[in-house]
Amino acid sequence: MVAYVAPRQTSSRTLVIVPARRNPERRPAVVAGFLAALLLTTLAAGCTSGGRSGSGGQATGSTAAPAAPAEPLEVRLVATARVPSGGLSAKQAARQAAPGLEKFLDRYLTEAYVDAAGGKADWNGLLGLFDTPVRASARKQLDALSLGAAAPEVSAVRPSRASARAVVLYGAQRPQAATVRLAFDATADTAKGSGQVHLRSVLQLLATGEGWRIAAFDSRTGPPK
Amino acid sequence: MADRRLRQPHGAAQVTRRPVVASLARRRRAVAWLTVAGLVAVLVAGLVVAVSPRRPATAQEGAAVTVQRAHAGSGTPSFNKRIVLLTIGSDSGAPKFGRGGSMLSGRADALQLVVLDPARRRGAVLSFPRDSYVPIPGHGTSKINAAMAFGGPPLLVATFERLTGLTIDYYAVTSFDGLTDIVNKVGGVQVNVDMNLRDHFAGAFLDKGRRKLNGGQALAYARARKTLPGGDFDRSRHQGQLLLSGLGTFQRQVAENPAKIMTWLDVLRDEVKTDLPFPELLRLALLATKVPPSNIKNLPVPGAAGMAGGASVVHLQPSAYALFARIRSGKLS
Repeated sequence: MVAYVAPRQTSSRTLVIVPARRNPERRPAVVAGFLAALLLTTLAAGCTSGGRSGSGGQATGSTAAPAAPAEPLEVRLVATARVPSGGLSAKQAARQAAPGLEKFLDRYLTEAYVDAAGGKADWNGLLGLFDTPVRASARKQLDALSLGAAAPEVSAVRPSRASARAVVLYGAQRPQAATVRLAFDATADTAKGSGQVHLRSVLQLLATGEGWRIAAFDSRTGPPK
Repeated sequence: MADRRLRQPHGAAQVTRRPVVASLARRRRAVAWLTVAGLVAVLVAGLVVAVSPRRPATAQEGAAVTVQRAHAGSGTPSFNKRIVLLTIGSDSGAPKFGRGGSMLSGRADALQLVVLDPARRRGAVLSFPRDSYVPIPGHGTSKINAAMAFGGPPLLVATFERLTGLTIDYYAVTSFDGLTDIVNKVGGVQVNVDMNLRDHFAGAFLDKGRRKLNGGQALAYARARKTLPGGDFDRSRHQGQLLLSGLGTFQRQVAENPAKIMTWLDVLRDEVKTDLPFPELLRLALLATKVPPSNIKNLPVPGAAGMAGGASVVHLQPSAYALFARIRSGKLS
């Protein structure tokens, strides 16, 4: 087994998350950015007001507060592989499997959390990521796999960490199965305020003609302990 | 304003007001500089916070609320029917033991019919004596282990289906090399050795009790026959016991590290020939993590030693056929 750390820039998909406008709480970075912009504007105005200006000291450039930056969902994946003799090396196999796994996990977290916010999802998108023999079980346990019943109360989910470790079983030409330990932390905004949501899962994945599917799971969600 | 005052005609006023004006100007400049310095400090602090690593909001930073209560859950594949798997130990295709030929065309010296009821998470392992004297389609009546040599796994499967009335979904074949390699690659199996063994023929020297067996010891335990009181019956029971011990070892390892499933699948891929499609193999492996070995009965098929054409054979007893009927009806205990 050879460890391969997937390059973050090349294989991670970026999702645009729109921050909740109703949320009274902002991330420290957003608040600080807003404050910095305000101060810069003030300083610029102060500097220009020292000179005589016929326009009443109007600062150059925009003085409007910037929109809160979009937050990327990036799954940081460390993959190792087990390969049959005579094929790819374990390192090559892990490298080949990593982008597809990252894409799948991105999609899972998007369906389970980001797109679920607002409660508009019927979960069919999420359940479609499960292998048919385990789908009914997943449907009964959505609370352990996603925002679940809390989704209607959540206006937005702002990811802060998504990391995964995978052991991939590689066949002659392509991945066949994988065990993934997935950790996801995010801030969820509600009308009452914001709170943290967590997901810790072990997913047993099966490679199918339609891509990866979750064949079994052991999952926990909820607030931090 | 100050300039206009300085141009006022009354000198006294000028004298008296000039220091005040100068002092005010200095004070204003100082205040201005302090303000600028303060703003710059705040700006720098803001930028430092802005570029510092992100951390999630905490309760101290605002109105942190509980968005979602804690939930835990797990799921494994569900099967809508009973699964019947024939596991076969071939006496061929094992170069390490000086046995040439193809694994799939050798004699089937270890024969277990594994019947699983996924819904009830129960099962049974039917261990057949290799010398069971049974009808083989197209080959009259012979020892059951000859069926694979006559027609490969398909004929052996057909023989079992005719004998038991059960539909066999899949088969899996391994060899002496395969068994020893499997056990060694997974780090040994925990077996409850049920008797003291001193079998020179099989190389089995084990004391009664719970033992962790390596590949060679496991093979010896599965092969020992001549010195056992029950002969072939004890041997077939030990083979079923070894299979269930492997299941127990698999479950313990996967419970400790779920990625061990990939290790086991990798090992099985190398050492076992099967008609199980890989997705079904994975699903069965995942199901196997949830079926306690104690829920799977090791049932030696009843028989009696006899002779046929000068060869020692085992004649299956009527109770064996009653057992098959019970299994067919879904009674696995």
